[in-house]
Amino acid sequence: MKKSSVNNLDVTIFYEKLANGLEVFLVPKNNVNNIFATYSTKYGSNQNDFVPINQNKMITVPLGIAHFLEHQLFNQEDESDVMKFFSERGTDVNANTNKLKTTYLFGGPDFFEENLEFLLSYVESPYFTEASVEKEKGIIEQEIKMYRDRPFSRLHEGIVYNAFHNHPIKYPIIGNVESIRKITKEDLYTCYNTFYHPANMFLVVTGNIDPDKTLELVKQHEEKRNLNKFKNIKLKTYEEPDSVSKKEEEIELNITIPKVAIAFKINKTNIKKVAKTEIATYLQMIFSLNFGSTSEFAERLKAEEIITSGIDCYPVETDKHVLMVVYTESKQPNEFIKLVKRQVTNLNIAKEDLERRKKSMIASGIYASDSISSINHKIMNEVVKYGKVFTDYVDIIKSYNMDDIKEVLKAIDVNNNTVYIVNPLNRIEK
Amino acid sequence: MKYEKISNIAYNLHLIKTDKFKTISVKIMFKRKASESELVYRNMLINILMEANHKYQSSRLLEIESENLYNIRYGAGSSNSGNYDCLHFDTSFLNEKYTEAGMNAKSLEFFFNFIFDPNITNQAFNEETFTLAKNLLTDDIKSFDDSPARYSRKKLFQSMVPKTPVSYNGYGTLEELDKVTPTNLYEYYQDILKRDLIDIFVIGDIDNNQIKSIIKEKFKINTIKKTNGSHFLENKKFKSRFHKIKETKELEQSTLLLGYKLEPLTKFEKMYVSYIYSYILGGSPDSKLFKEVREKNSLCYSISDSIYAVSDLMVISSGINADDANKAIRLVKEQVKKMSRGEFSEEEITQAKVTYLASLKGLEDYPGSILNLYISKEYLDYDLLEDRIKSINKITKEDVVNLAKKIHPDTIFILEGSKKA
Repeated sequence: MKKSSVNNLDVTIFYEKLANGLEVFLVPKNNVNNIFATYSTKYGSNQNDFVPINQNKMITVPLGIAHFLEHQLFNQEDESDVMKFFSERGTDVNANTNKLKTTYLFGGPDFFEENLEFLLSYVESPYFTEASVEKEKGIIEQEIKMYRDRPFSRLHEGIVYNAFHNHPIKYPIIGNVESIRKITKEDLYTCYNTFYHPANMFLVVTGNIDPDKTLELVKQHEEKRNLNKFKNIKLKTYEEPDSVSKKEEEIELNITIPKVAIAFKINKTNIKKVAKTEIATYLQMIFSLNFGSTSEFAERLKAEEIITSGIDCYPVETDKHVLMVVYTESKQPNEFIKLVKRQVTNLNIAKEDLERRKKSMIASGIYASDSISSINHKIMNEVVKYGKVFTDYVDIIKSYNMDDIKEVLKAIDVNNNTVYIVNPLNRIEK
Repeated sequence: MKYEKISNIAYNLHLIKTDKFKTISVKIMFKRKASESELVYRNMLINILMEANHKYQSSRLLEIESENLYNIRYGAGSSNSGNYDCLHFDTSFLNEKYTEAGMNAKSLEFFFNFIFDPNITNQAFNEETFTLAKNLLTDDIKSFDDSPARYSRKKLFQSMVPKTPVSYNGYGTLEELDKVTPTNLYEYYQDILKRDLIDIFVIGDIDNNQIKSIIKEKFKINTIKKTNGSHFLENKKFKSRFHKIKETKELEQSTLLLGYKLEPLTKFEKMYVSYIYSYILGGSPDSKLFKEVREKNSLCYSISDSIYAVSDLMVISSGINADDANKAIRLVKEQVKKMSRGEFSEEEITQAKVTYLASLKGLEDYPGSILNLYISKEYLDYDLLEDRIKSINKITKEDVVNLAKKIHPDTIFILEGSKKA
């Protein structure tokens, strides 16, 4: 096993790639009782057009299928009940799907070895029937409706949808009621067989474990599997223009105060002098220092009652673009948009602000090192986004500098934006 | 882990020393008998104290300083605990071992200033800070009903247990807010320091003497406070069948709540039996409600039950299609009946116990969870870890059935979504 330490922290990552291609990351932490294990495939809602394994034609599957598959994997042929298995062992069990990956997980202090063995087994044994697929549709329909009544979910979905033309990041992970109704058990097998090969998957275990024993268990389990050799998955590539696909949209929901977002689409391949992996972080710093809780901008807008509390921002990243979303709750959404645009033409950062923010970011890493779930999430995110884990996070943060910031600032085009507003009912004049 | 409690006439100080965490966490709780008309003052206090203080006169300056202090985290809120209303102020910061010498004292000073060094001029809160705090609360009151879950719960409790603290309108009302001024809010602030029961909980690798002396210096007020009345609320009247209330809103999903009243539970039932009951009925993805309503009948994505042990209430909640309401109600009623008829297995009880024990073990990993244990010891006289481990194993099936028989149907609230997808 390869062993590497995260700098300045008591976190050591053990790594091995098994013969069948499965990557294993283990982080022992012996002053905690819990163990947190995640088993993931690099398959999320972004991978919707691909050539299925052992075929040669590109297909498009219904939106929301990666998430649907996640639900259905809990269905087992021998009727062994996944929920029951973990409940009997006092262990929390869950799964989730995002744009880039699907993760199956458990967490708890006891029965670790049985739990791990079972996690691997059930994820590796799909069993879909027409009845189970039909049953799932009603459940997911309710999940969709729950999100559709939530104003901030609609705001985030809406702004990303309108920012992109072709890239599938534009679609909600969960799909929509029409798309999930079209899903068949054959579709599920096609996706499963293509994306759930060990060479496309990885396991991360953090907490009170012995790394050698854990690896041995995983190895023994994986060696028993009889699998075809992995062939690279052919995914569709998307021609994504730099422009946004729709400039503005307003909807109405049963709420009291409007929610508003404006997003700027930035082509990161134009920023040559800055490491590609750091561009989104730089943008996040630039925007949060200009609009976040330490900014004079937010202080002024709150005093003028344009916003109710704070302004938040976050990046949405594809291979080519970063979409910087700035959003808030505002009784004067149009005024808010006008002022943000004006501020974006004038973005700036003082060196002392950058240094203070760096100090705070390094401190956040120390906080996170106390949490086995934070460590686990950090590893998962980096593996999926960059194919490796960064252990020199302190050095990376220390290297952030004003020259890079200037480079990133140059790539922001204030006019390349899209606006989304969620209004109270009957607010839009018809 | 070493626990020390120092009782003073003005406050209790609870010190939990452990080297397990890189952080030090502090929670200060203020409590007094809940009164609906004071809610708005208490919420205003939280907003105004967290918005600015004498040293840092805006939330922007506070946030900047929090980054300088290695990203110290801070927050506050209010909550109901039966007969009492509680304010809590929280912080968590890196132990100076991981930053630089002297930071523990600086971080504690920063946190205590929220409470003890407010932005005051001429015996009144600063006008600007007051306006910001009031704007925020106005918006919170106005948008309280936006969340279908929160709105439905409010309406359910208002119907089930009117005029009790559980049914109070979360943040107070706009009419009451209009009566609050910078001057009378400052009077109220002084009143809580004098009259609220105050508990300070600290956990981390701390120097007990350092904490004691900092707090001693901060607490200048030394009023003798009346000690504890009980937190627990009791029900006296019970229905034999559900009273049903239906409202319509323009939403895609409908919210279904079934509210039950419980006959007075014993301490043992509150602490342990209710956990087992709740776990088997609707507390896990392997529970009766989850399996029946979601997995077998495909009616919902979420369904669960919660027992409010302090107020002897139980609520089962789910998100469904409006057309499925009657079917869902029938299925839920069936499962609840099964519990009182004892139609559940020894295996299910064991499973609930195993889960309870695992969660006790697990909570030792989180400073906040350990603090909560000591808070429930102080407020409700609940057991600490060792006693909990012993007691949970004593529960029998008979205990669970006896508790089930104390549960009476009361009110069903349906918030019907009228929007077509």
